[in-house]
Amino acid sequence: MSKKNKIAAKNMIKTKNVATDIPQLRSYRFDFLGKSKFVVIISTVFIITGIVFFLTRGFNFGIDFRGGNLMEVKFQKDISISELRVTMEEIGYGKAILQSTGSDRYIIRTVQLTDEEKTKILDDLDKKIGITKPLIQDRNVAAGFSQTIIKNALIAVAISIAGILIYVWIRFAVRFAIVTIVELLHDLLIILSFYTISHREFNSTTIAVILTILGYSLSDAVVIFDRVREELRFGKTDRFPDLVNYSINKTIVRSLITGTTTFFPIIVLLIVGNETLKDFGFGLLVGIISGTFSSIFIGPPLLVLWNKRFPVYKK
Amino acid sequence: MQSKRVQIIVILVFAAILGLCLYSAYPFQSSIKLGLDLEGGTQIILKPSEIGAEQVTDSALDKAQLIILNRIDKLGISEPLITRDYNKNIIVQLPGVDDPKRAIELIGKTAQLEFRILESFDENDNPVFGPVLMTGDKLAKAEAGYDSNGSIVVSMAFTSEGQTEFAKITSENVGKQLAIVLDGEMKSAPRIKQAIEGDAVIEGIDTLAEAQDIALVLQTGALPVSLEIQESQTIGPTLGQDSLRQSMLAGIIGFALIAIFMVALFRGLGLISLIGLIAYIIIFWGILAALKTPLTLPGIAGTILTIGMAVDANVLIFARIKEEMLKGKGKYAAFSEGFKNALKAIIDSNVTTLITAAALYRFGTGPIRGFAVTLAIGVFISMFTAIILVRAILFLMVDTRVITPGFIGVKLPKITREVVKEK
Repeated sequence: MSKKNKIAAKNMIKTKNVATDIPQLRSYRFDFLGKSKFVVIISTVFIITGIVFFLTRGFNFGIDFRGGNLMEVKFQKDISISELRVTMEEIGYGKAILQSTGSDRYIIRTVQLTDEEKTKILDDLDKKIGITKPLIQDRNVAAGFSQTIIKNALIAVAISIAGILIYVWIRFAVRFAIVTIVELLHDLLIILSFYTISHREFNSTTIAVILTILGYSLSDAVVIFDRVREELRFGKTDRFPDLVNYSINKTIVRSLITGTTTFFPIIVLLIVGNETLKDFGFGLLVGIISGTFSSIFIGPPLLVLWNKRFPVYKK
Repeated sequence: MQSKRVQIIVILVFAAILGLCLYSAYPFQSSIKLGLDLEGGTQIILKPSEIGAEQVTDSALDKAQLIILNRIDKLGISEPLITRDYNKNIIVQLPGVDDPKRAIELIGKTAQLEFRILESFDENDNPVFGPVLMTGDKLAKAEAGYDSNGSIVVSMAFTSEGQTEFAKITSENVGKQLAIVLDGEMKSAPRIKQAIEGDAVIEGIDTLAEAQDIALVLQTGALPVSLEIQESQTIGPTLGQDSLRQSMLAGIIGFALIAIFMVALFRGLGLISLIGLIAYIIIFWGILAALKTPLTLPGIAGTILTIGMAVDANVLIFARIKEEMLKGKGKYAAFSEGFKNALKAIIDSNVTTLITAAALYRFGTGPIRGFAVTLAIGVFISMFTAIILVRAILFLMVDTRVITPGFIGVKLPKITREVVKEK
């Protein structure tokens, strides 16, 4: 490159540099706001399906939420679920819920049992099929206690949401806070729908999943809002929808990368994990997808809509 | 420009912390305390309610916990853990116990021993007692054995104060029947022939094992509250080991995938973020070992999740650095701006995660609490490693030739590249 050209290039860059620092119309590649209605439609369909399942079949609550007795038994030989069901009927517990965790392993859930009743079931099973001791697991929850667990779970979720609301309100503005809450409620409904549709076990661990997802979704939302807040300082001349779209375009790479890195261990967990880990993993997986989508396609459009009705920023 | 000395000091401090953490996490297998769901064992949740006039106060619960601990100790169960949750429930954890029947029976026994006068029987043949004359707290010793007739008894010796009192009671009530009532059930009611100085016995016991249990609970004292079992859970040793192995595997493979992904995307920067991530994992284990926080199954899942999230801070920063580089800024300016611009978002998202962790800790029980603790620890450490450590390493390297746009994974437009070179 000749010296003359070099100087010319240098000047060009200089002007370009200056240009990026001057408030200008933000140009972006992809119109995320425009695509939001598809996501809203998909979410709505999913949630309505979830509600239908909830009304017809309800949640598959774990025993910590409904009380009762759970035993996981390893038998001395392989046995099919129908054979085991017949045996359970013979010993008077035809209503027990059976779940296979291996060819010779079953989870048997019944109503709450006294010690004598439990001993009798195990003795009968031992006589008829043969069981290995000690049991893989054995859990007994009083019906009244599950009420307390549910109450605590609801309090935990409510308190987290309230805490988040206040924090976002302080750090951003009230409209950001309220939009965030709508996003989180969306994620909450999606996860709950997932658990009714898939009929996977819903227990107190699920509450941990839900709160983790709310935290995750929130991080996504905050990163985008943080960018909007930053651009607002420089881009006062931009239309607000453009500015929001620009901010999403600028943060989308991060959202996808973080989503992917969080995905990896969960996917592995789903492949190698046992049933307990899978109940956990599926919830996380659905939640992370939901959280990523809601932070892009639910929150920001709402923010723009709000600004249309009650403009603070340039329409 | 920040002096290099600061960065070197930061890195040295981290090296020292890492050393400490490795020391505390060594030997790896035994340093981390496992929760019941991973180790196997029994957990019993007991709900206290008042007996008579005695309220369920904190001090009553403290006393109850101590008594339960003593009883379990007498059974020879190692490392029992007795805690209280936010609803004032008492949680008893017995690692390694896979047949908790006897423990549950012993723990639940209130062991309220009362000496009262038997006045009459009502129409249903239930005994009617006079006021409580003396209780079990004046006992010095209780022992199971046989009396001269060969029937099973628990013989009790009183404290000196108890002896005087017992002598007084018996001398005042000669000719009446003295009922010995244990947890509301009349065990025996011998007629008082003369004032008794010394011992008393409980009769009407079916087996020697039962007598031994009664002696044991009498010796450890009466519970100041009555306890009702809300939940009992026993995890056999195999289930926990399976879960532990599987989630460890998930963690390791997940980490490897994250490593490949980060290096593919951010090249040299990705490599440095991995140093931060490895530091994160070491410090995490070290702190878990030092705090003796039991690692539970949800806790492991939380850990795996925080590994993914720990990368987030670095992703935010690197994306910003890339952006600044593409704007045509020099290395140093791009790095400073990148860190500065990303910081707000990192802090905001971490604080909100801490809010959820706090709510989980306050209202969760058992494994969920373990999850909340690991989540909170993870958030704190990741802030330190992803921001401070990675920053120090990068700023130490920023002047060297190692740091090129290629190192960062940026393809500058040709024209910008020329200018950056000259800067």
